[in-house]
Amino acid sequence: MSGLTFRLKAPATERLDLTGITPMRLAKMASHEIASLKIGMGRDALALGDAFDVSGTSGDTLTIEGAGASLDYVGAGLDGGTVRVIGNVGPYAGRKMTGGKIEIRGNAGNYLASGMTGGMIHVSGNAGDNLGGILSGDRFGMAGGTVVVEGNIGARAGDKMRRGTVIVRGQTGEGAGTRMIGGTIWAEGGFGPAPGFMMRRGTLIGSKVERLLPTFVDCGRHDLVIVRVLNRHLKATLGTLAPKPMPLFVQKIAGDMATIGKGEILLPAA
Amino acid sequence: MSQSNQGQAPAGKIINGVLIDDTFAEAFGMSGTGIIITADTMKWAKIAAVTATGFGTSVIGCGAECGIDRELSTDETPDGRPGVRVLMFGFSPDALVPQIKNRIGQCVLTSPGSACYSGLDAPAKIGLGKAPRFFGDGFQTAKKLGESRYWRVPVMDGEFVIEESTGITTDAVGGGNLLIVGTDRAGLLETTEAAVEAIAKINDVITPFPGGIVRSGSKVGAKYKGMFASTNDAFCPTLRGATKSELAAGSLAVLEIVIDGLTSKVVADAMRVGLKAVTDIGAKKGVTRVTAGNYGGKLGQHHYHLKDLI
Repeated sequence: MSGLTFRLKAPATERLDLTGITPMRLAKMASHEIASLKIGMGRDALALGDAFDVSGTSGDTLTIEGAGASLDYVGAGLDGGTVRVIGNVGPYAGRKMTGGKIEIRGNAGNYLASGMTGGMIHVSGNAGDNLGGILSGDRFGMAGGTVVVEGNIGARAGDKMRRGTVIVRGQTGEGAGTRMIGGTIWAEGGFGPAPGFMMRRGTLIGSKVERLLPTFVDCGRHDLVIVRVLNRHLKATLGTLAPKPMPLFVQKIAGDMATIGKGEILLPAA
Repeated sequence: MSQSNQGQAPAGKIINGVLIDDTFAEAFGMSGTGIIITADTMKWAKIAAVTATGFGTSVIGCGAECGIDRELSTDETPDGRPGVRVLMFGFSPDALVPQIKNRIGQCVLTSPGSACYSGLDAPAKIGLGKAPRFFGDGFQTAKKLGESRYWRVPVMDGEFVIEESTGITTDAVGGGNLLIVGTDRAGLLETTEAAVEAIAKINDVITPFPGGIVRSGSKVGAKYKGMFASTNDAFCPTLRGATKSELAAGSLAVLEIVIDGLTSKVVADAMRVGLKAVTDIGAKKGVTRVTAGNYGGKLGQHHYHLKDLI
């Protein structure tokens, strides 16, 4: 596995925008062109070579070492290959990515995977608010691909999410699945208050819910074939990263009945 | 069909007392698809599959040729329940659309605990759940996982889950065949059953007729207007003296196995194991000869020479 390694020279004094810094794009560039890419958001327009030591040769992997929360848009626009980050990243990581893989060995900021349509993001720590959420000017939030977060995530994950799968080993913040249109959020540690606010369709699966909205209705205890399909699909595609399968029977809670009510929260049946 | 052999021994090779004619089976290009049907138990998966593939013997009269390819273990199905894979063959992808819609809608959707998935991974797709999902009357929902979209249709025992589409191939072959001739009807049936059982072990093929066996082999055309096919009088033992017969004296019955497969190779493989099953039993059950049906080689694109399959 060949690839470039960026090592942050010193803690960044301004926010760094890594939009479009992807293995596939860098593979077409000479080293001096890579070093001169503008990533600074300040008046001086910092170049990549000013902020990072660049080593290795272009390939299908880009490793970012010594990363920190000042790195914005890590892996944004990724369409293939792997971006591996040692450390934390700031907001908008994986923004509008269509393929490939982002591995973050640390925490991710807000709006992780917003507008993502394909590929895979794995975060070993926590993620901030609006994971897979919508940004101003977008039509939808996350619309495909898979995100696995080993820790907890913030509020409003999956806001206007349309497709794709989010797996959270820990807990979600308030309002997971807000305005959700489709897709799946699976919170092994359970959901914070008011999940699914104004959700139209989609599935929220978890071990528990802190507080349900009054516009969600109990549809009873069921053995759903689609949960079996989902369990098997995640095991086949994610291997050891797949969540522990849900028990055979789940409690189906439908909502948000304030909209068309085709969404659902699935909890282990008592 | 081939020329009359009445009064003279047909050319061929004798194996274990059974004459293998020096002739060929003539088969046609078709469109084929695979569908996986699961249920809570294998019993109910098979009930749904048998019902969905019923009245699917000949594409001319039934619209499609259908059958069960094989049983699937819980490891092989998308939902981890027991299942079966059925195959459906038609003249064209367009001709299969209403067949899939009606057979799945009437026979699988209605069967307790059933679910339905793509059973053929092919670049070209054909609708599977596209029509049956509307039974949900607006309560149906979809879930896309990977490249597959699954529809969930609320029904009285829970949800009917059906994948939106399945693969379709236009490289399928219909009409591979073996004609088995015997002097003892019971022994001939027993031998032919053994051949069908051997063919069932080949994946990607079906034998669409009842129990895999046809007793009413046909020739093209008839004396009556509007009949596309009629009895194969040359192989009817009771007409041996009255028509230009293919049968030697003493021949009491002829049974045919028709084989459809997703590729030409699997049809040849199926004919090969069927032929071997017959010759392994040999003449002791009254089988005297194996031949094959053809139209002089002018109609079908695929020719399977028996001498190449021995």
